[in-house]
Amino acid sequence: MSKKEKVKTTKQIEGMFSIIRTLLAVTIALIFAFFLISTVSDNPIKDFSTLLIGPLANTGRMITVVSKMIPLLFTGVAVSLIYSAGQINIAAEGAFFAGAVASTVVAIIEGIPAPIHIILSLLAGAVTGAIVMGIPAIMNVRYNVVTIVSSLMMNYVALYGGLYIILNPLRDPSAGFEASFSFAKSAILPRILGNDRLHIGLLIGLAVVIFGSILLYKRPFGYSIRTVGANKRFAIYSGIPVDKTIVLTSLLSGAIAGMGGSVETLGNYSRFVYSGFTNHGWDGIMLAVLCRNNPKTIPFAAFFLAYLKTSADSLNLTSKIPPEIISVIQAIIIIFIAAEKLLSKWEHKKIVANSQKVMAVEKGD
Amino acid sequence: MLDYIFSLDFVYAVIRMGTPLLFVGMAAVIGAKADILCIAYEGMMLFAALGGVVGSAYSQSLFVGMIIGLLCGLVIAIIFAYFVLYLDTKPLLTGLALNTLGTGGTVYVVYLLTGMKLDTSSLHSLRFPAVHIPIIKDIPIIGGLISGHNLLSYIAFIMVIVVWYLVFRTRLGLRIRAVGENPGAAASVGINVKRTKFLAMMISGLIASMGGLFMSMAYMPYFTNNMTAGRGFIGIAAQNLGRGNPFFTMIYTLIFGAAMAIGNTAQAYRLPSQFASMMPYLITLIGLVIIGSRNKKTKN
Repeated sequence: MSKKEKVKTTKQIEGMFSIIRTLLAVTIALIFAFFLISTVSDNPIKDFSTLLIGPLANTGRMITVVSKMIPLLFTGVAVSLIYSAGQINIAAEGAFFAGAVASTVVAIIEGIPAPIHIILSLLAGAVTGAIVMGIPAIMNVRYNVVTIVSSLMMNYVALYGGLYIILNPLRDPSAGFEASFSFAKSAILPRILGNDRLHIGLLIGLAVVIFGSILLYKRPFGYSIRTVGANKRFAIYSGIPVDKTIVLTSLLSGAIAGMGGSVETLGNYSRFVYSGFTNHGWDGIMLAVLCRNNPKTIPFAAFFLAYLKTSADSLNLTSKIPPEIISVIQAIIIIFIAAEKLLSKWEHKKIVANSQKVMAVEKGD
Repeated sequence: MLDYIFSLDFVYAVIRMGTPLLFVGMAAVIGAKADILCIAYEGMMLFAALGGVVGSAYSQSLFVGMIIGLLCGLVIAIIFAYFVLYLDTKPLLTGLALNTLGTGGTVYVVYLLTGMKLDTSSLHSLRFPAVHIPIIKDIPIIGGLISGHNLLSYIAFIMVIVVWYLVFRTRLGLRIRAVGENPGAAASVGINVKRTKFLAMMISGLIASMGGLFMSMAYMPYFTNNMTAGRGFIGIAAQNLGRGNPFFTMIYTLIFGAAMAIGNTAQAYRLPSQFASMMPYLITLIGLVIIGSRNKKTKN
């Protein structure tokens, strides 16, 4: 028996290697970050430690981490869903932005009772997000249009269309800067845990994570999504309605991303303030890569990314280091984690050695 | 509005706006022929734009600046090709990562060199000159249309012919198309698929880098934060609309250029500028649907 316990399955080894690869990617990125910091900084060790443990310094910063994490939960799950279906749809960025705009349109209306007003605003965001991400999907299944191009174009249409609405009909001339009218008090998300920066969006985000992982791994529809993503032809032969699955997944993913935009706007601001892309959609892609499209682990990855962003912000305040260092770290992490063949020889050797061990054990029995 | 569209200024504006798109469009044509899904052109352009500025500022030579700029863009193309071809990284993610690196990394370098986080206006970098063609420039109307554009704009139009010739009339072009259309068949006749794709990606990266150089050494006199602003993506869209044909791709890049030129002047005519900025993307979407539905009909 003791012999058998030592034997691992191939799947376990693959899992182990994906963890090793993730750690390796993070380590390489941090080494590179240290190198970058030391080119600019007078005190690289102090600045590097700010990057690593800066957010732990006080509760205020930890709350910033959690509040930065909220929108990432939405876009991370949204992208995980759509990538599970094998669709290279990158309109999550546009869906997030459009969702924020749509909920602004609803949120500036006065005189709707609070709970209904919030629900209506979030719904407006979700529906608009679904449209933004659904159109490229429909174009793909109906007209065979390459999704990556159409979804890119859709991002810009959402951006400029949204800015047009905010800066023309909804612009508040008394604001003193380019912004919409203020939201009605009834549309602002309620606070939780007695903190004025944590809002109910955190709970909605976690609910979305649970919804996403149950849907994808515990429901028949999730199985369809993953089958379409893994092998379209097999999905067709096994009678899964492929086109319908793609469109529905895109709509759902867009709705989640759009609602993320609503939550972020109504939770943190008193009026619409964005003047360009917020990058949350792109961050969602990074999270989905880190989590291998599994929504269950999105909160951890989102926390990690939010932590890094908070560190970069505090570095920007306390040192000369530009906050863009975070983009460099992000880029290195993505590229190394996604490198499938990195360490593949070592992994292969392990698997071969392991199968030989398995055979030996079976013979021994 | 109409009087602007029929003016010489408009022609200049279209060519000025269209030049970087034309370079990326041609880069994307080669990428598409080799069947590589590359969205990293933003990153390549940004690094090339910065490299050109820095190189020319420190050497005070346009040529050195150009070479350094091209090398910077080429490095990104090589990283892309190496990860995608040899480490099996998904092209979309690699492109995404390199674009992120482009926006963040260039700002970092700018700060390192100038101590400023916004632009390199404090460096005395050089610009590509406008070319006034002798004799032709004195011909009425035609002279105004053809002469007086930036040197890189002329190179961009020549590049269309060069790319067409490379892809359809040379041995290398044949190989690139072969590995793009049917890598198995190409390998069976002894073509090294990975090496050919690698080479295609390097050529593609060099052409895209020219677009980057135009941004910081002609369009603007210095490098600014994220100055390509999505042009790398529009080039890909133009390639898609032109279905990989260099000449059709050129037409679409000029349409995008025209839409951008109109967008820039829209405010003077009291049109909301966001509306004008949205037009090229909306036109692309509609164009993609029209082309797609026509394809479907012919297939049926």
